[in-house]
Amino acid sequence: MSITTRSLYKSYGDLTAVNGIDLDIKPGKVFGFLGPNGAGKSTTIKLLTTLIPPTSGTIEILGINAIKNPLEVRKKIGVVLQQPSYEPNLSVEKSLEKYGMMWNVDKQIRKQRTEELIDVFDLQEIRKKKNEDLSIGQRRRVQVAREFMHEMELLFLDEPTVGLDPSARRSLLDYLKNKAKTGLTIFYTTHVLTEAEYLCDEIAVINKGKILAVDTPEQLKSTFGQEKTIKIHLLERHDKLAQLLLGISGSEVDFNTGTDIIIQSRRAEIVLSQVLSILIENNIAIEDLSAMPTTLEEIFLKMVKDTNAPDN
Amino acid sequence: MHPTIRLVNRNLTISLNPGFLVWQVIFPIVYIFVAGFAYTALIDSVQLGDVSLDYPAFIASGMIGFNIMNSTLVSGIIIWNDRRHGMFEQILVGPFKRSHYILSNVYTIAIVGLISAALITSIGYPLLFKSVQFNLLTIPFLIFASIVGSILFGSIASIISTRLRSSEGFNVIINTVFLFFAFVSTAFYPAQGAPEPLATGFYLNPLTYLVDIIRAGIFGTFNEFVMLEMLVLVSVAAVLFVVAIKLLTKLDL
Repeated sequence: MSITTRSLYKSYGDLTAVNGIDLDIKPGKVFGFLGPNGAGKSTTIKLLTTLIPPTSGTIEILGINAIKNPLEVRKKIGVVLQQPSYEPNLSVEKSLEKYGMMWNVDKQIRKQRTEELIDVFDLQEIRKKKNEDLSIGQRRRVQVAREFMHEMELLFLDEPTVGLDPSARRSLLDYLKNKAKTGLTIFYTTHVLTEAEYLCDEIAVINKGKILAVDTPEQLKSTFGQEKTIKIHLLERHDKLAQLLLGISGSEVDFNTGTDIIIQSRRAEIVLSQVLSILIENNIAIEDLSAMPTTLEEIFLKMVKDTNAPDN
Repeated sequence: MHPTIRLVNRNLTISLNPGFLVWQVIFPIVYIFVAGFAYTALIDSVQLGDVSLDYPAFIASGMIGFNIMNSTLVSGIIIWNDRRHGMFEQILVGPFKRSHYILSNVYTIAIVGLISAALITSIGYPLLFKSVQFNLLTIPFLIFASIVGSILFGSIASIISTRLRSSEGFNVIINTVFLFFAFVSTAFYPAQGAPEPLATGFYLNPLTYLVDIIRAGIFGTFNEFVMLEMLVLVSVAAVLFVVAIKLLTKLDL
């Protein structure tokens, strides 16, 4: 396993940021770690990268006890933290080169990699610019590119696409996909579900420091996403719509406009036929009707909503 | 290459920018050659033990200590910048221990301090030439002063940088503290003849001790009082160094 944790806890006073996490991440996989802001994603990354010690529990990274031998772990991993990190007065190419030097990469290889990464991460135009003069997105690109200056077996990326434009974002995801194919294990935190779906082999959903589910994106959708969503848009507003549909469970009416009916149900087809009968009986005209499978985003939102409910 | 050496390499690259180097050379040159000769009209000579110095020689030797102190600001600036720009955490998730980071800062300030002392000694040498009393202690004294002075002032800058987060706060505090060190000292003027409270203030300032030791080495005015000053300087440097290390070790992530 690339990462194994058992009963991992991290508390700050009364606040439990990480609440008994167990992970088993296989080598060569892209593992997505999803959660809303404040769910415990960054704290978990800090624990796994040995930046902070756990309150209790065990962490094994690449077969090494990370609590006893943090330096040995750090020599084998790469980390792109959520917060920006840069040396303001160095140029982009000098930043890459110096970062390689800090990792003891041979001078010749450093030179070669700097050129490769400038090319891959589209940094050619800004290579001579100082970090302090870059935009947030450019700085982020340099920060991520820099991490590939050295060899590693496991890469942690904490929301690496924040601040990137859609094209840079897609390029990065494709680059990571290719890297994973070469055997690199990637631990990827995000709250952008489409990214996770595109990139990750396995996904864990975390909220309030607890893991709610771990599975492949397809399996998560099949387990939690059996509901379908059907949207009916009416030609005009009907004030009595809610009253008419009162007896049908699993349907929601958008009361703000009075023109939308949203059906979310495991038996959406049956509910749909009931709704259609009522609409026909009452001469209510339909403008548009669409059916969608539940997305990972909807599953994620539902899980988070359920755990945030007072009972939980 | 050892991790600490790699970090020293990085520290020197990020801190020795052209602006800093110009500042490190131009500022003392102005003091030595402009203030030094301009004040000669007011201060004819300064008595240092048995030696009588002209003012330019006096201020040139004082500027060596002043420049050592100024150059060690680098340490505080490195730590503060690393925290502000996320490099502190980034380094600590890399192949380094906290002790590598701390030691790299100590070595960096020692190197910058030594270079700075050598630079000002060379620049000021034409003025010092007449009065220099080269002896066996001259070079060891200068090296001692450079290293102990660098560690002492570097520790102060490091302590300040670990306690402050805002750039305004850092700049105000560091400039105030170093302004006091610079001008309430014997770097620019002798203690004898100064009003009593000010003369006492001079000896509450480590820069005074540093400058006295440098002058003792250059002008051969070594005596028991200078030995005491060396002891005080080493003790204060050791205490401040321990405090700085403790604060850096406990620095939140």
